[in-house]
Amino acid sequence: MSEKEFERYEAELRGVAPAPLPEHFLARLQAAKPEMQMKERRPFRPSDEWQSWSGMLRWLGPSTALAAIGLLAFRAEMTPGISAKKQPLAIASGFKADNVQVDEDLVSSFDLVAVSPTGQPVRFHCRQWRDQLVATDSSHGVKIEQSNPRVEVVPASIETY
Amino acid sequence: MSADSEWAAWLAQHAPALLLFARQQTGCEADAQDVVQEAVVESWRRQNDATPPPLALVYATVRRRAIDLARRDGRRLDREVAAHLDGPPCWFDSGVDERERNLLIQRAMNNLPEIYRNVIMLKVWSGLTFAEISEALEIPANTAASRYRYGLIELRKWTKEVFA
Repeated sequence: MSEKEFERYEAELRGVAPAPLPEHFLARLQAAKPEMQMKERRPFRPSDEWQSWSGMLRWLGPSTALAAIGLLAFRAEMTPGISAKKQPLAIASGFKADNVQVDEDLVSSFDLVAVSPTGQPVRFHCRQWRDQLVATDSSHGVKIEQSNPRVEVVPASIETY
Repeated sequence: MSADSEWAAWLAQHAPALLLFARQQTGCEADAQDVVQEAVVESWRRQNDATPPPLALVYATVRRRAIDLARRDGRRLDREVAAHLDGPPCWFDSGVDERERNLLIQRAMNNLPEIYRNVIMLKVWSGLTFAEISEALEIPANTAASRYRYGLIELRKWTKEVFA
C-alpha cells in the first residue's frame, strides 16, 4: 500500500464514527459524575503528637552522642584491661568538657510520595541531617567530635477525595 | 463552564470511543459499560485540580479494568462472549446506507489480532498520538507505530470491498 493509499484509507476509517452511547448508559454516566469541585488543598498541620515526636527525634542524635561519650568514659573507668594508667592523660585524669557545641547540617532534602493502606497518596518531605557534637576540654587540650546521620520524614500533604 | 456541563461535554466527546474500546476489550456489552463507567469515574477522581484526566490514562484504566474483570469472571465472560456472537451491539454509528459497511468493518476489526486492533482503535477513533497509545497500552511508541501500519494493511484486506 502506497503512502497516499494509506492516508486515504486512514481518512475513510476516521469517517466511520463510533456508535453513540445507548441512552440508558449515557444517563447512567451523567449521574455518576464524581465530585469535581476544586479540592481545598489544606496545608498539613502536624498534630501535637507528631510535634512531640519530632522534638524528641531532633534531640535523639546529640543525646545519643552524649550517651556514647558517657559510656566510653564509664568503660574506661570500669574495664580492667583499659586501666587509667594506660590511658592518655586526658581520659586518665577525667575528661571535663568546658565547651560543647551541638550542630546540625542539612545533607539533602527531597520529596517522596507514598500510598497509604487505604490507597490515598501521601507526600512526605524527607531531609537528611548530620548531627554534630564537639566537646572540648581545653585544660587537657582534648577535643572529641561525634557526628551521626539522621533522617527526618515529615508528611507534607494527605490527598483526600 | 460549570462542572456539570464540563462533565457532559467531556462524555459527549470521548465516551463513545471509550465504549467502543471497552467493547473490544470485554466482548460483553454489560461489562463494557461497567468498565467504562468505573474507569471514567476513577480517572476523574484521581485529578486533584478538577481538570479532565489525560485520555491515555482513561484508556489505560479501561484496559486494566477489563483485564481484571476477565481474570475474575473468566468463565462468565466466555459464556457471554459466546452469547454475543449472535448479535453483538453495533460498534459504529450506522444509517441505513452504511449499516452493511459498518458491520463489515466491525467484523474485520474482530478478525484482527488484538495487538493491531487496540492500536488502530486508539489511533483512528480516539485520536491518540503514538506517545499516548504507548502509555495506554504500555508498549513502546515505535511498536505502536509499526503495529498500526501492519494492522491497517491487514484491515484493508478485509474491507477491500467497501473501501476502493
